[in-house]
Amino acid sequence: MSADLEWTTDMDDHGIKTPILQVDDLAISYETRTGDVPAVRDVSFEIQRGEAHGIVGESGCGKSTVAFGIVNFLGRNGRIVDGHILFQGQDLVGRSQEELRRIRGDRIAMVYQDPMQALNPSMRLGDQMTEVLTVHRDVEQKKAEEKCIQMLERVYMPDPANVMRRYPHQISGGQQQRVVIAMALLNDPALLIMDEPTTALDVTVEAAVLDLIAELQRDFDTAIMYISHNLGVIARVSTKVGVMYAGELVERASVKDVYLKPYHPYTQGLMRCVPRLGMDKTSSYLYPIPGRVPSPKNLPAGCVYEPRCDYAREECRLKKPELREIEADRWARCHFAEEIAQVSWEPPADLVPDLAALEERDEVTETILEITNAKTYYEAPSKQLIGGEAQYVKAVDDVSFGVKKGQTLGIVGESGCGKSTLVKTIIGMEEPTGGEFEFMGVDVSSPVSQRDLALIQELQMVFQNPDSTLNPSFTVGTQIGRPLRRFKTVPGDQVRAEVVRLLEMMRLNESYYNRLPRQLSGGEKQRVGIARAIAGRPELVLCDEPVSALDVSVQAAVLNLLLEIQEEIGTTMIFIAHDLSVVRFFCDVIGVMYLGQFAEIGPAEAIYAPPYHPYTEALLSAVPIPDPSVEQKHIRLSGNVPSALNPPGGCRFHTRCPRRTEMLSDGGTICETEVPPERTAEDGHRIFCHIPLEDLRQMEPVVTTTE
Amino acid sequence: MLVKDYMTRHPLMAEPTMSIVEAQRYMGENDIRHLPVVGDGKRLLGLVTRQSLLVDPGRLGSLDIWEIAGYLSDLTVKDVMVKADAVVTVEQGVTIEEAARIMVGKKIGCLPVLGEGIVVGIITEIDLLAQLMKLMATQEAGVRVTVRQPNRTGELAKMVSAIAAQGWGILACGGAPAPKDPTKWDAVVKIRNAPREEVVAALETVEDQEIVDVREV
Amino acid sequence: MTVSERTLSTVTRPSRLQRIKESLSILWQSKVAVAGLILVLFWALAAILAPAVTTYKPNTEDAQAINQSPSASHWLGTDHKGRDLWSRVAYGGRIVLVMWPITDSFWIPGGVAIWGVLIALAVGSTLGLMSGYYGGWIDEVVMRILDAMMAFPTILLYLIIIAAVGASATNVVIAITIAGAPGVARLVRSLALDIRTRDYIAAAETRGESGLWMMFVEILPNARGPIIIDAMLRVGYAIFSIGTLGFLGLGLPPPNPDWGSMVQAGHHYIFNNPWGVIWPTVAISSLVVGLNLLADGLREESLRYQ
Repeated sequence: MSADLEWTTDMDDHGIKTPILQVDDLAISYETRTGDVPAVRDVSFEIQRGEAHGIVGESGCGKSTVAFGIVNFLGRNGRIVDGHILFQGQDLVGRSQEELRRIRGDRIAMVYQDPMQALNPSMRLGDQMTEVLTVHRDVEQKKAEEKCIQMLERVYMPDPANVMRRYPHQISGGQQQRVVIAMALLNDPALLIMDEPTTALDVTVEAAVLDLIAELQRDFDTAIMYISHNLGVIARVSTKVGVMYAGELVERASVKDVYLKPYHPYTQGLMRCVPRLGMDKTSSYLYPIPGRVPSPKNLPAGCVYEPRCDYAREECRLKKPELREIEADRWARCHFAEEIAQVSWEPPADLVPDLAALEERDEVTETILEITNAKTYYEAPSKQLIGGEAQYVKAVDDVSFGVKKGQTLGIVGESGCGKSTLVKTIIGMEEPTGGEFEFMGVDVSSPVSQRDLALIQELQMVFQNPDSTLNPSFTVGTQIGRPLRRFKTVPGDQVRAEVVRLLEMMRLNESYYNRLPRQLSGGEKQRVGIARAIAGRPELVLCDEPVSALDVSVQAAVLNLLLEIQEEIGTTMIFIAHDLSVVRFFCDVIGVMYLGQFAEIGPAEAIYAPPYHPYTEALLSAVPIPDPSVEQKHIRLSGNVPSALNPPGGCRFHTRCPRRTEMLSDGGTICETEVPPERTAEDGHRIFCHIPLEDLRQMEPVVTTTE
Repeated sequence: MLVKDYMTRHPLMAEPTMSIVEAQRYMGENDIRHLPVVGDGKRLLGLVTRQSLLVDPGRLGSLDIWEIAGYLSDLTVKDVMVKADAVVTVEQGVTIEEAARIMVGKKIGCLPVLGEGIVVGIITEIDLLAQLMKLMATQEAGVRVTVRQPNRTGELAKMVSAIAAQGWGILACGGAPAPKDPTKWDAVVKIRNAPREEVVAALETVEDQEIVDVREV
Repeated sequence: MTVSERTLSTVTRPSRLQRIKESLSILWQSKVAVAGLILVLFWALAAILAPAVTTYKPNTEDAQAINQSPSASHWLGTDHKGRDLWSRVAYGGRIVLVMWPITDSFWIPGGVAIWGVLIALAVGSTLGLMSGYYGGWIDEVVMRILDAMMAFPTILLYLIIIAAVGASATNVVIAITIAGAPGVARLVRSLALDIRTRDYIAAAETRGESGLWMMFVEILPNARGPIIIDAMLRVGYAIFSIGTLGFLGLGLPPPNPDWGSMVQAGHHYIFNNPWGVIWPTVAISSLVVGLNLLADGLREESLRYQ
């Protein structure tokens, strides 16, 4: 964790004290048809040699714009209107392209979220990498290749010589990102800017890449500017962090200070609205930040956060606060930072939830959905031109579980584990290859087009992407009204009243009735999507990553809403997510999927404590936790997820299992040949593993709090 | 103890077209004395020191007073730098004493460090002096003793075992031929957590060895 | 949570009028589109208001004034039979843009080119939606047939159709439909393929909506932008084709003024009187160019709008 990175001692003080990067009062605007948009204002920070500095903020807060400003990549309509960017003491603002290129030379490198943005899809990786060395530096081709292979080894790329001969699409996303990082490091840059480099990666891959970044930063003495929306990721890689909001830096301090004792109300709000790993809905509550980020065209006159701030006073509305040093090396942009940090925050009265009510729910035993040996295979096109055996992608392979009425089942797993296919099969959008599906005593293995309306009504879905969940051509009212009309939930003349009631349940008022989707924010769209799903009063709602595309502050509001709905109308839910903290918070029962099968399924609290399935253990240790006081076990999975076209025999996890050789007597050879048995622990907690339950119980908890 | 671990990575560098006025300001503001000049891909083109920025009075003398300003502003680091072929450099893999030997031999204060032809760092006399400080554990508290012993094998071992016998820890240890006496060897040792009197008592018992200096630092 | 209250004031409720105004505002943003619109409006107005803006009947022959150059009495000159070119050109636009004579006495508003394209859109969109939404063998069959049709040179297709069913306004409409539908179908299919992957389509499926609802309510409205732009281009091509058919004598039966047949009639006298050829050609090309400009401007602007 961050403490390890504090390598500087007094003795090294004789070196150069100039920061690698110093940004002073930076302001960047974009020209648009309707006038200039000030995307970034008044941003100042510095990055010392060898330091990892995080920039955290929600989408649209200007964090990427700052990065693009530094590398002068603002596009045709963006320009720096004010301020200075000093790179190693030399000002980059106001220089010509040519001068910039010379000053910056190969000393600043940038890594983007999408590695394919940096890789040329039509060139072999080896050629792209060696080009870096041969073009500017006249390194001989052969030497350049050697050097590239060394660098690939350095980023722990398996079989680097082979990778050099491949094209970008032939390696996985995590490996692509490693290649991009290796390429960036070939020039030995003084500053490496990373813009959400792990956001598109799965959590176990992300953990490995983050480890790599921390290690490289130490070894190469490279200063890193790390941009992310994820507080946990920032906590893992950086020593200092700047929090951005609506184009301004609102707080800046060491990671520990910011996380444990934030000064700025926005930072405090952020900390309160993310579920920490281990929090659950019966014992805690997420406090969303009210309102939404102001548009940069229409900023408040005073403090930018004032409209959403719980502490706002008259002064905040009138006077814009400066970023000022509250204590040594702790900066915050708030008039009352000292006062509010002392005041322990009390949630507004209307927000205090009735947690007891949740806990007091009756124990129901009625199983509403029973699935036995479910299989969904997709036929993969044969590679041969004529004939050839048909191959099947076993997206879901032999999965059995039941969901009780009123419960929430969470399904977690990395991309490609089959969790979405499972849900689509249940709702009838995919046809199952085999197995029994029983919902309220009715067989539901038929596709949706063959089901009768009464059954269709009972199963509804909430989708992941807020931008595509609503039909852009129709108003909110029409779209929520449609299931009401179709299922005849209410008489035709009451549809409007019912829609308004649903909107109010979503905490949207009547004025939303006539809006078009593009006039809504992401969170609002998602709420309308939920309203549409529950309009027909379904018994079971399937949620496919409903909050993963939302900003954290909005995410909290949507999660709370789902909880309230569940409480109010007693809906059963299946909730898919890749974020383990969210699932832990939200669900009663959790299933962990790997390559089309359950690795483990059981009550939420049992999944997050020993006995663990080795895969669950690895997942938990990979989750970035936004809390520096928490210790996590360090377990990293090697290799890639095998293809579902040809899954490994025996236990599907055996190719990556870090536990089998140490915990099984014969070195785990049994895992390669035999399908693991189902081991049942207390409360219906089932683990599919060859390692005996007693041994699994002996495992240390992955997450421990040190304080 | 190799150069690559003790050099300054990512040194401040100049491009050849930087004016000397700018270079002087840059070096002054950032408190550095050496400025490697690099071209594309960080290849070393030359080195600017504060010396190179001193204007040759002979050349100025031949100019009219109003020509001087123009002359100075036209001057770039390329004109005044020590050209690459005259700059003494080291590879990252050499030992720091080798770097010191080069610097002493050439009487220079700085060595750009090259790795595969590009500038990866810079090592200066200050870096070496800082390392000397670390070798002598300057920042730690302890008893520093200088012992003059015969210049033959086994003498240092005797001293160290005397210290070890007391269960003390050695913070730093070093030796050099005694000044003006080739038959003797001066060993310096810094001991942690030991009272000065006991240290003196313990080392006095070692045969043929004489304590020339004791101090608590 | 006070989200809704706080954000309420910033967004106003859109009325239908405002929405139309908003989409029109895109048009004004583009100089190209405005130039195109002016050209198109000029011909449309000339055709609609032909009786009011001309002083002669289009078929009135004046043996005293044959092959005249433009003058105060005949603004654009006269043709070989002494008919006023301005009124012939203006009336010529009617059949393309304003009226579709189904029988001699009965006509419906909207010209042959416009109706042809509208019907092509209806047929093509239906086929494209079916292909794109259902996929599978329906897609295979529909697309193979349309491919075969598209492999035919368009002009040859026109000639065959008109030769087979005879020259009349209705048959020209049919020809335009048959020649245009495959292209529309292809476009709509590709749009449908993209749109059907959206979550709102999945949401409608999980509501058990019928295929017709999916295609025409969920998918089609979201494909309208590219379809409208494509339709404008197609009207241009249709006008072009009608001109060609007229020139080849396969268009609308004489003596009704028709730009293509005007060129055909005039080209015999081209050395005596080039005006008889120039004006109808200018009419065709400026209208087609106008429609193209309008389509291009709108497309560019709508892309930028995103």
